[in-house]
Amino acid sequence: MLKGKLKFIIAIAVIALTVSYLVYGGVKDTMVYYLTVEELKAQVPTVYDSRVRVSGMVVPGTIMKDTNGALEFQITDGTQTIDVAYEGIVPDIFADDVEAVVEGVYAKNDVFEADTLLAKCPTKYESTDSLYENKETSY
Amino acid sequence: MVETGSISILLAFIISVYVLIASLYGVKTKKWDFVRSAENGAIAVLFLLIIATIALLHSLINLDFSLKYVALNTSTDLAMIYRFTSLWAGQAGSLLLWCLVLSIYTAIVVLQSRNKDRQLMPYVLATLATVSIFFIGIVAFVESPFEKLPFMPQEGRGLNPILQNAYMAIHPLTLYFGYVGVTVPFAFGMGALISGKLGDEWIRYSRKWALFAWTFLSIGLLLGARWAYLELGWGGYWAWDPVENAAFMPWLAATAFIHSVMIQEKKGMLKKWNMSLIIITFFLSIFGTFITRSGIISSVHSFAQSDIGPLFLGFIAFILLFSFGMFLYRINDLETENSFDSILSRESAFIFNNLLFLGAAFAVFLGTIFPILSEAVTGNKILVGPPYFNRVNVPIALVLIFLMGVGPLISWRKASFKNLVKNFLYPILLAILTVVVLLVFGMKDVVALISFSLCAFVTGTVFTEFFRGTRVRTKRGENFLLAFTRLVSKNKRRYGGYIVHIGIVLIVIGVTASSVFVTEKQATLAPGESMELRNYNLRFDGLEQYTTDAKNATIANLTLLEGGKQIDTIAPEKNIYKYEGNREINQETEVALRSTFKDDLYIILSSFNEDGSATIRVMINPLVNWIWAGGLVLVLGAIVTMWPTRSRSRQEAFIRYTVSDHDNPVKAS
Repeated sequence: MLKGKLKFIIAIAVIALTVSYLVYGGVKDTMVYYLTVEELKAQVPTVYDSRVRVSGMVVPGTIMKDTNGALEFQITDGTQTIDVAYEGIVPDIFADDVEAVVEGVYAKNDVFEADTLLAKCPTKYESTDSLYENKETSY
Repeated sequence: MVETGSISILLAFIISVYVLIASLYGVKTKKWDFVRSAENGAIAVLFLLIIATIALLHSLINLDFSLKYVALNTSTDLAMIYRFTSLWAGQAGSLLLWCLVLSIYTAIVVLQSRNKDRQLMPYVLATLATVSIFFIGIVAFVESPFEKLPFMPQEGRGLNPILQNAYMAIHPLTLYFGYVGVTVPFAFGMGALISGKLGDEWIRYSRKWALFAWTFLSIGLLLGARWAYLELGWGGYWAWDPVENAAFMPWLAATAFIHSVMIQEKKGMLKKWNMSLIIITFFLSIFGTFITRSGIISSVHSFAQSDIGPLFLGFIAFILLFSFGMFLYRINDLETENSFDSILSRESAFIFNNLLFLGAAFAVFLGTIFPILSEAVTGNKILVGPPYFNRVNVPIALVLIFLMGVGPLISWRKASFKNLVKNFLYPILLAILTVVVLLVFGMKDVVALISFSLCAFVTGTVFTEFFRGTRVRTKRGENFLLAFTRLVSKNKRRYGGYIVHIGIVLIVIGVTASSVFVTEKQATLAPGESMELRNYNLRFDGLEQYTTDAKNATIANLTLLEGGKQIDTIAPEKNIYKYEGNREINQETEVALRSTFKDDLYIILSSFNEDGSATIRVMINPLVNWIWAGGLVLVLGAIVTMWPTRSRSRQEAFIRYTVSDHDNPVKAS
């Protein structure tokens, strides 16, 4: 009976430890710092070649798309600006002035080489601003 | 209509407060008239919320833009069906729906069991009323769908085009049925704790309701995945986004609960565990609503951000403190009636199943709140992405699939070697055979090999069960088909559960194949050029443009060839919506999908150029359809399990026959 209990405790401990180990290892190997453009710039040169995620507004007029679908643009936090190069699927809402979130590596030539691009709506989803604009145009 | 709506909500709030007070007062003082009137109050709340919902629907359908909610979520060019579904497209409407669904459930609980248990039921009702008060309170005083604008806009902002999709129209609804459904078993748990009636009653009701909620959560998750796959255009169906995790966590906890509850039902064990589990499940369901609604964790899904966050946090803290407080108060009444005999037994398989489900829920929870946690502790915002979730959850999932094969067949209490051989020899041989065949066909991926062989193992055990059960009956002279249907209909819970397991196996096969064996290629093609992909050849025939009332669309016409033979034409689109209003999203990429049971050809028109060339991205996702098919099987199994049984045959289902039990008869207990 006691031996049975002990086996259980060992088995449960093994499960708990395995899950903890998986969580710990997973966090350690896959974690990514989420920075603003300013924080990224502040961490030069240590930030070079490590994987980070950066968010900022897309600077209007900087989006350049070549015929192969590769994309270059700049993002800013209002004070600092970085160049971003990206190739892959472009979200539908990606455009001038939207908040873009890019993940990748800041290369030594000061171009952020992104392999992930996410975009968020420029305003709060439930903002009524657009309705006011609409009101003005309709009178 | 608008005034009717807001007054109904206000009345519903007041009556919910009355329901709470009257039910508690009634049961404390044994004045059953008060309990009865509280029950009637719950029905009244349902009617009031139906009126409020109809009032909002009326405004949505008639496009009354003087209401902020209507102006933000509809527009004159919105099809009738989506005006209707706008009810749950925004924050305030979704919360009203939450309240409505909860009041429907409360009314059902009241009508089903008002004469059942006089001690337990008033507390169950009081718990449901407390949750209602919170949500109706938010709708009444913080996020009212009947809030008016100071002016009357000519046009509304309209519904985001990616939400104008049949799956998106029903996915939130099913998810809500699941989310809210978790409240009911929680209320029974609380009722049992407060009243001290910790017998079988609460567990029996909780199990049914938990299964019901679990089924809707499953459907909601799958519909959401399907929607993401069709609309988001990145080629996958699951991204470990916080909003997806929000629904996945209560699903994991609920899955643990619907399994461990069987052990309490049959053996009187795990009482503390089950009580904690249902509290955790409810917590995760409210927490899920909180993170999707508060915007505290940044997600690519653009949900409304608002100031209801602190209210939710307060409510969550209250739930946890109160329920675990009650739990500690009653802890001595939750003693187990049996103890574990052997690690090789069905009981222990269920324990491991539970630990793993909870471990997975914990890992997902940690990963989801990691940015907040790390910022609080270190000052840096650190994210863990899909690689983290995959690394942690894939091994856990593989062990769970293994247990899914073991659990239903292994004997209770202690499995003998003979029993193990008898039950598992053929399934294990089938698993080994699967690995060998796949290796011969050149599959090298270790995770995929393990996953497929475990799936074969589970399928083997389930078929063994069906086969044995049917054979026992055919030996009694029934024909095969009759024997089979009788077998299932006399043991709905057992065989329904097996059907659900088969559904899960199909989903696992689909997920494994489509995440391990994706082929992806992007190319810029001039008209007439083509690209090769696996055994397919895709020829670009040229661009075509057309205009409708709502949009300017560009189509890339493609011809699909296999072995030189034309097999299909495919046309991915890129749409620019012509809005008169100021909607933020006016571009939409319409994926072209050619779906078969073998693979999905997922084709995106990335961009097109003035010279008539187009950049096309193609993915071959194998066996994705198995996921959706598995979902249908899962629902079928859940329906079989929940199908009502006349009370006599329910007795039979309880005593149930088990092959493994015959080998190892339980000594006089």
